[in-house]
Amino acid sequence: MGKLTHIVNWARIKSPWVLHFNTGACNACDIEIIAALTPRYDLERFGVQLKGTPRHADILLCSGPVTRQVECRLKMIYEQMPEPKFVVAVGTCACSGGVFDGCYNVKSGINAAIPVSAYIPGCPASPKAIIDGVVKLLQSLEAEEEKKEK
Amino acid sequence: MLKQLFILLVFPGFLFLLTSGLLAEFIDRRLYARLQNRQGPPWFQPLADFIKLLGKEDIVPQEADTTVFRLMPLVALSATVAAFFYIPLWGTEAMFSFNGDIIVVLYLLMLPTLCFFLGGWYSRSVFSSIGAVRVLTQLFAYEVPLFICILASSLLANTWSLSGMAAFYSKHPGYWLFNLIGFGIAFISLLGKLEKVPFDIPEAETEIVAGSFTEYSGRLLAFFRLTIDIELIVGTSLLAAVFLPFGFGVGPYIGFVIYILKVLLLVALVSLSRTIFARLRIDQMINLCWKYLAPLAFLQVLLNLIAKGVMVK
Repeated sequence: MGKLTHIVNWARIKSPWVLHFNTGACNACDIEIIAALTPRYDLERFGVQLKGTPRHADILLCSGPVTRQVECRLKMIYEQMPEPKFVVAVGTCACSGGVFDGCYNVKSGINAAIPVSAYIPGCPASPKAIIDGVVKLLQSLEAEEEKKEK
Repeated sequence: MLKQLFILLVFPGFLFLLTSGLLAEFIDRRLYARLQNRQGPPWFQPLADFIKLLGKEDIVPQEADTTVFRLMPLVALSATVAAFFYIPLWGTEAMFSFNGDIIVVLYLLMLPTLCFFLGGWYSRSVFSSIGAVRVLTQLFAYEVPLFICILASSLLANTWSLSGMAAFYSKHPGYWLFNLIGFGIAFISLLGKLEKVPFDIPEAETEIVAGSFTEYSGRLLAFFRLTIDIELIVGTSLLAAVFLPFGFGVGPYIGFVIYILKVLLLVALVSLSRTIFARLRIDQMINLCWKYLAPLAFLQVLLNLIAKGVMVK
């Protein structure tokens, strides 16, 4: 069984499919996420593909602070994703709520609603930072797997 | 018995189709990337995607019909693999053949599309229902020109079996040039069958999320994706056998190389058209198929009837 899980983990790291969801951002981080997926940066080199439906996705890229209106929708999308799944918070607002923290309509960062695996700060986070963050998340999965083997 | 099992499961059966299908997806994606001036995925990418999807949780929506939802990917996959055995590849003889196997192959190649429809329809989600309806609408548009073209070329050969056709065209070299119009029409129809751009209307990820596959995840989605990959190989093999029938009588090894080259050429044409065209609307697609492709296909039938009367005695 050890060999089989090793192969499945390898495949998981090599083929992360992302879903992009705006939880109330000012649209700056969204533009940068879209920029990261253009041919200029060519994320398909790492097997990254943008998917339209949560059923196909492995990684949920969230941008912006969680507003009260979007909270239940965010949870619904998170629950629609099949296991194993990871959440990446893109931008300062997604990490901590940013300048919107404490507003009457805002519930702080993404981790106030769903568990987050990686944080990418920046206002907005540049495409290079987003790619770096996703690669670091994949590397940490690899390291975790190696630890399990020992 | 053992030999037949080997044919069915290993070569040129399921295992050969699995590897060649994944390779064809890689070639398609890599060529697409290179034509867009980028690096593209590494060679193992389709395999990694497939294994990853196998290892994921598969969710069946509460509203969906569990039996149909779970069964459709398997039916689609097995129908596509079954169609492959009746197509002559590198000799004039297919693995199995009988008089009338053209109908069987065309029918078996229609089954996956019907499975996409049923799977999407019984997901009971809005996006997949729209996708499913589009799948069926598109089916009625491209299937008729495709059938007429393939039957036109069998008319010239005066046989109802694909192996017989391959034998006829290799005995009469040059006769395949009569079918060039039919080849073009069949290629366009094949793009519709494979749901590739410009006919990816049922999937259209910018409009309806992922069409009839919206609710599919994990293993079931892996089988659907594998079906599309294998359909690419089976469809291009069918076109190669019917419309490019040369290089059959040169022995198994050189014949195999020629077969691979023919399939590669068709796969490259598919990814080229994926790069240079944009998606059509469903009404434009129906107009194109019924106003232009179907009359042209009838012209092909007429041409072949005249050719048969004049040349074949």
